[in-house]
Amino acid sequence: MSDTSIPTPPIVDIRHVSKSFGALKALNNVSMSMSLGEKVVIIGPSGSGKSTLLRSINKLETVDSGTIIVDGLDINAPTTDINKLRMELGMVFQSFNLFPHKTVLENLTLAPIKLKGMSKAEADEVGLKLLEKVGIGEKAHVYPAKLSGGQQQRVAIARALAMSPKIMLFDEPTSALDPEMIGEVLDVMVTLAKEGMTMAVVTHEMGFAREVADRVVFMDHGGIVEEGTPEHFFQSPENDRTKLFLSQIL
Amino acid sequence: MSETHIIDVGEGAAIPSRSDWGLFNAWTISIVGAVCTIAYLILFEPSPYKRIIFYLADGVIITFEVTVISIICACIIGLITGLGRVSKNKAINLLASTYVEIIRGIPLLVQLFYIYYALGRLLNVHDLTAAVIAMSVCYGAYMGEVFRAGITAIDKGQTEAARSLGFNTKQTMFLVILPQAWRTILPPVGNEFIALLKDTSLVSILAVSDLLRRGREFSSETFLYFETFTMVALVYLVITLLLSKGVSLMEARLSHYVRH
Repeated sequence: MSDTSIPTPPIVDIRHVSKSFGALKALNNVSMSMSLGEKVVIIGPSGSGKSTLLRSINKLETVDSGTIIVDGLDINAPTTDINKLRMELGMVFQSFNLFPHKTVLENLTLAPIKLKGMSKAEADEVGLKLLEKVGIGEKAHVYPAKLSGGQQQRVAIARALAMSPKIMLFDEPTSALDPEMIGEVLDVMVTLAKEGMTMAVVTHEMGFAREVADRVVFMDHGGIVEEGTPEHFFQSPENDRTKLFLSQIL
Repeated sequence: MSETHIIDVGEGAAIPSRSDWGLFNAWTISIVGAVCTIAYLILFEPSPYKRIIFYLADGVIITFEVTVISIICACIIGLITGLGRVSKNKAINLLASTYVEIIRGIPLLVQLFYIYYALGRLLNVHDLTAAVIAMSVCYGAYMGEVFRAGITAIDKGQTEAARSLGFNTKQTMFLVILPQAWRTILPPVGNEFIALLKDTSLVSILAVSDLLRRGREFSSETFLYFETFTMVALVYLVITLLLSKGVSLMEARLSHYVRH
């Protein structure tokens, strides 16, 4: 699968990015780009910098050096309105982070009402449709504490989608879930991928990577070690560290 | 002055805890005891108790006024101070921290005298106003610490989730963090309310005719010290108990969304 024919500029372009937490080098001169509609799955051992890389795309982490261009805008430029840009970047967290003082539906409608000026009726309609889509329409008016982990994560995905983002970022979305709930969350993500959403996913779910990814990126020690199509990646990895990692988890 | 207590979210009023069986809890015993004693004294020993309670009535109103206005002002000052203490802006942070340091280092009674005489000298403000300002400035600092603790107790993920949706810092604070922080803040804030109510008795040192000062005036005229201060203590007890009940009812209402 060659992507040389794609003429559009990348929607996410990460160039020579580095980031340290104290003495720990979390990202070491990393470059990566994504084009519109592409699904990139980032894998690697814990502490490899994959979450930091993902979180730097919407500036939850500020990088020390290098540039990150999202949708044509340099996210670290002083002229860039990061809040406006973040509306284009939906994010799903490992720990769901639903707003516990709001009902499920209110979790979905808060941002569209306050940030996009949507009327409550319109936001409710959009919200209910999204809840149906992720399969929990009947839970619209309960508080998140009453939902299972899998349900909460599906709500979190719907909440991000309610802003109609161009890109979805997933930071280990299934790592905090009980095994029997992982499937229901992955199903939602697969559906989203099939609809053409641009997605960057940090995960340990290799089945998902195989099925959905256009490109798999393997990170270790703050750098990208190897990247390629799932076929290449899982069947004929070249780097020894990739081989070792795959042999440990498969 | 009360400590900031460990935050404990109860089960809510609908489910009594084990130590709270029916009418026989400490609160009920205290309030019934106090009210019955006052009623008994007024009905069966109207002289001097009826005269005392009528004399104290004006003072109750003043105490109530000082308490309510000071609570409102202290909450506003406390919220601003708390936000200042968590601010990333170094100047604002330092300003708020210094205010808290200074106020916490001076006894309330000294602050009362200081503000009273300083303001009286500079602006010639009303006695009651000076008392309210002093109470608010002092308790504002204590509440600032409570607000700060409540805000920092909210999981960082909440801020990240709100910011990732596109909310700015201010929106994140007012739409996501503070509405959750109220729940954890309310019990310690309620304690501050009650402490403030009791500390309003200190303003009797100034020329403010609150409940305690009315009691002192009456007793020094009649020499009925025991009778007068019995009544003063009982009235304070009733007001404090009612306020603490109000606070716990508010807590129960706010805790609804955390119950599983």
